[in-house]
Amino acid sequence: MEYSSIFFLTLLWVLVWGAIGLAVTPRIYLRRDKDVSQTGLMGALIGAAFGPIGLAILWVFTPSYKTRWVLLPGIIVIFILSLAFARADPNNLCVTSGSFVASQLVNGIIIGIIYSLMALGITLIFSILGIVSFAHGEFYMVGGMIAYFMTARWFPGVNPLLAILAACVGTFLIGYVFERLFLQPMHTGEVERPGEYAILITFGLAFFLQYFVQATVGANPVKATRYFDFPIVENALFQTSKGSITFFDAVSIPNPRLTAAVVAVLMLVVLLLFLYRTWTGKALRAVSEDKQAAAVAGINTEGMNTLAFALGSMLAGLSGAMLVQVFSWLPQVGTIASSRSFVIIVLGGMGSLPGAFIGGLMVGLFEAAGTGCIPDPTRAASYIPAYGMIVLTLILLLKPTGLFGKEL
Amino acid sequence: MNRQWIPRIAGILAVVLLFIFPFIYGRADYDFIMHLWITAFFFAILASSWSLLAGYAGQFSFAHMAFMAIGAYTAALYGNYIRILSAPTNLCTEYQIGGRWLVILNPVGVTSSAKDCLEIAKESLPVGTIISQPSIWWGVLGGVLMGGIFGLLVGYLVLRLRSTYLALFTIGFAEILRAAISAEIAITQGQAGLELLPLFPRGLTLFGNTYSSTDKLMPYYAMLFLFLLCMAIMLRLTGTRFGLFIRALREDEEAAAALGVNVVRYKVMVFTITAMMAAAAGAIFGHYIGIITPNILLILQMSLVIAMAVIGGLESIVASAIGAIIILFMLELLRNSFDIGPVRVDMTLWRLVFFGAVLMLTLRFRRNGLIAPILDWFNRAGVAEETVAKRQAAPTEGSD
Amino acid sequence: MTELRVNNITKNFGGLQVLHNVSFEVNGPELIGLIGPNGAGKTTLTNILDGALNPTSGTVYLNGRRIDAMPPYEVAKAGLGRTFQVTRAFRRMTVLENLYVPALALHPAARQRDFEGKAMDVLEFLTIDHLRNEYGRALSGGQQKLLELGRLLMLDPDIIILDEPFAGVHPKLMEIIYKYIYKVNEDGKAVIIISHDMDTIFTLSKRLLVLNYGDLIADGDPEIVKNDPTVIEAYLGVDEDDDSYDDEEDDDE
Ligand SMILES: Nc1ncnc2c1ncn2[C@@H]1O[C@H](COP(=O)(O)OP(=O)(O)OP(=O)(O)O)[C@@H](O)[C@H]1O
Ligand SMILES: [Mg+2]
Repeated sequence: MEYSSIFFLTLLWVLVWGAIGLAVTPRIYLRRDKDVSQTGLMGALIGAAFGPIGLAILWVFTPSYKTRWVLLPGIIVIFILSLAFARADPNNLCVTSGSFVASQLVNGIIIGIIYSLMALGITLIFSILGIVSFAHGEFYMVGGMIAYFMTARWFPGVNPLLAILAACVGTFLIGYVFERLFLQPMHTGEVERPGEYAILITFGLAFFLQYFVQATVGANPVKATRYFDFPIVENALFQTSKGSITFFDAVSIPNPRLTAAVVAVLMLVVLLLFLYRTWTGKALRAVSEDKQAAAVAGINTEGMNTLAFALGSMLAGLSGAMLVQVFSWLPQVGTIASSRSFVIIVLGGMGSLPGAFIGGLMVGLFEAAGTGCIPDPTRAASYIPAYGMIVLTLILLLKPTGLFGKEL
Repeated sequence: MNRQWIPRIAGILAVVLLFIFPFIYGRADYDFIMHLWITAFFFAILASSWSLLAGYAGQFSFAHMAFMAIGAYTAALYGNYIRILSAPTNLCTEYQIGGRWLVILNPVGVTSSAKDCLEIAKESLPVGTIISQPSIWWGVLGGVLMGGIFGLLVGYLVLRLRSTYLALFTIGFAEILRAAISAEIAITQGQAGLELLPLFPRGLTLFGNTYSSTDKLMPYYAMLFLFLLCMAIMLRLTGTRFGLFIRALREDEEAAAALGVNVVRYKVMVFTITAMMAAAAGAIFGHYIGIITPNILLILQMSLVIAMAVIGGLESIVASAIGAIIILFMLELLRNSFDIGPVRVDMTLWRLVFFGAVLMLTLRFRRNGLIAPILDWFNRAGVAEETVAKRQAAPTEGSD
Repeated sequence: MTELRVNNITKNFGGLQVLHNVSFEVNGPELIGLIGPNGAGKTTLTNILDGALNPTSGTVYLNGRRIDAMPPYEVAKAGLGRTFQVTRAFRRMTVLENLYVPALALHPAARQRDFEGKAMDVLEFLTIDHLRNEYGRALSGGQQKLLELGRLLMLDPDIIILDEPFAGVHPKLMEIIYKYIYKVNEDGKAVIIISHDMDTIFTLSKRLLVLNYGDLIADGDPEIVKNDPTVIEAYLGVDEDDDSYDDEEDDDE
């Protein structure tokens, strides 16, 4: 037990120097007549990572802000805390078993990639419409429900690809109609406070969709069967069964998760190709850069808004369709998915697609570490929704625009 | 008679009616209707204080139910862990006050059969030691103060955050609180919930009538008093500089600051005041319901409050309170499921679907809500006519 | 007597230097014009004086008090008022309520009705008294500009900075604003007018400041400044007859 004091003392040390760095660094930059923006964040992380020595060096040389001065100490802080944790609880599986860590790590990465698929849509919407869709999780839920009903109820034995397609089409249409009917007046100046209106109206949609599904489908959890089986392969590198793949006899990944992750990566690539190679994609990016200029250049900005919202909602529906074979599905699953997407979008810098991907990975890893390593599993599980939210609130306080600046 | 008097007279009549209601209503569903009224007052306090925060001050916070829960949980923790003894236990954390000892029990969790320190000490306590629970009203007061402290804290933390970011931050705050309450089972009993005593644990005797502790009369009046108190405070505040400044803050924070309004102070103040009201409502309602679980912090509970305020009229405190009461009654009355041919329509769910649709349509087409425009019609009587009359009288008109 | 001292103000946004060592003084009830091309830093300078932005370096003193580290609401009470380039009337508050905000902010113990008379005088002077119970959003763009000017009268500052008060304004309304400027100036307030309209600036101001991409390149009598070769090269000479359309491009915040 006395081990755990090691961890908390380390935590205290990190927090104290971080706070000192946060408070003092901007003042020093100000006195040196240097640009102060971001220096609080930089000071906080360098203080947390290197303590007084790091801060002294920072304050003597006052280098101008670079992303690496934040990323590097950030990683070191995580490393220090993990080390302290390992010392504090030496019998923990996370410390003793290399293969357990490896499998947690891989599963964290896989689930992180899946999360980022969820967040790609909300990021796309934010970067173009400038709003956060609070109904994002509900699109995810609806997508999963459609896929489940296609494969399990309406057309048993149907090709899963068709089910996924149906989920995409369904969520795309809902998003399209909703944007047309309810978000359009925001862009025409008909609404006094568009920011707040967007929050409330998407929130209202979330409420509506959630209860609509509950009223029509019921509140019993459902789960789609595996979309397809792996072929049985066995070699030195990995071996497969129908439902999972195992690398080096140690790290096993369930089939549905792997397929979802592969689809996520594919979607990111497709989305980037779409945005950078096609005319429509370029028009979308133009709208996100500068609405007025885009309109002057003859782009139908209204249409682009609708397209972006529908596409974003479709991405949520797609991730739902992929994940309904992983998790059991309830009308309420959207709430958790929403809050996870919020964390990711803030972590990834509000509107940056690669940022969303990195954010998703980070959240996946956080959660894997949280659930795998914290002693007292029931307690740890109850805290799962909080880990991300703690990160979210801290980032908003330190840097209200997210970690990586806005870029598409 | 001037139209502006009508809502005032109607308001006074309504208050009088609410006061005598328990005595004139004698139907068989008395208990149920009383329960609805108590719940309606509870939501009316939440919706109207949220409309002060969001509608007046423009702070779209999703942490309102969290403040409510802070009030309720403070009262519950106080009731569960604090005792007054006439002799020391020498086991628990305790403080001597006069001839009595204030004892803080140690949490033992929900499933464990372990005894807390008082139960262990009981065996060795001198015979005749009086163990009593201090008045629950201190717990209610503590809940209100705790709500205020958290409101102050959140108010300071969100000073720099605007619209979406504020919404995300406050959702984060509420979720962290919910997770913490669910996880710290040893103290809060997690999903099992904490029990609270009734408002008057020993019943009450008034004017020769004795009411048992489960009678709905006392919670009815307690909630009604709190509701009217909150309304009075808020209506009073909106008529003063406070109301003027927070509206200026909502319209344009920078312009308000450039005109000398201390935006920091008023933002923090409005968070603190509304958080205290939510906490007070939570503490009283917790004592009425008798048990409190972390599920009151679910985001859907918050959306109920938001929907009530929006449908009533976000920018009017009275309208959102009336909206909350009407919606609560509607939701209860729409509860009866019915059959269309072979299909059973489960109204417990469809009423919420309907409600969600009304919320969206109100937002889209009746931005001022459904009730506020009616009040406005009475209150702003004559403004348009006046403008027209003056415009005709004054030919030099400055416009472009 | 009003005394504003601006010392070596520098402002950077990220890597972009928007103001560079700007210094000037205002003594007494002067009427000053501040001109410069779009993006010269005029609005940024106003924001720094008013406390909405902190300078990267430099100091500002108003009547002997240092105001550059103060938040805007304290600067306002210390005696500096400003209008915004894009009008910022409180849209969902009545015209009278718009006027009460600064009045009450300035007088902690007062009530709304103490200012009813003064507010009505102000509205009458600005010829919008018939709109006193209308919401801000019901006013036309020009009327909203007048309302902003009215709010400043209620704040009663020692120095007023008007950011493009004539942009998008009809000649009839322009007259009222002229009258307003002369009146507050007679009342002993210093006025700094930012404008792209050269005729107005030369008519109104007794002193001209010229900002050119962060540098204060001239400060003095308008007639002399007008013929200053650096000013002509940097600004005036390039497109003298462009004022007419300059008026319209004012919503680039
Ligand atoms: N918050 C900001 N962040 C980054 N750059 C800014 C910011 N505010 C202003 N700038 C930049 O500072 C420069 C000066 O802007 P400013 O608004 O002060 O110009 P101005 O002289 O008022 O121009 P105009 O006549 O068009 O109103 C511009 O290049 C602008 O892009
Ligand atoms: Mg400008």
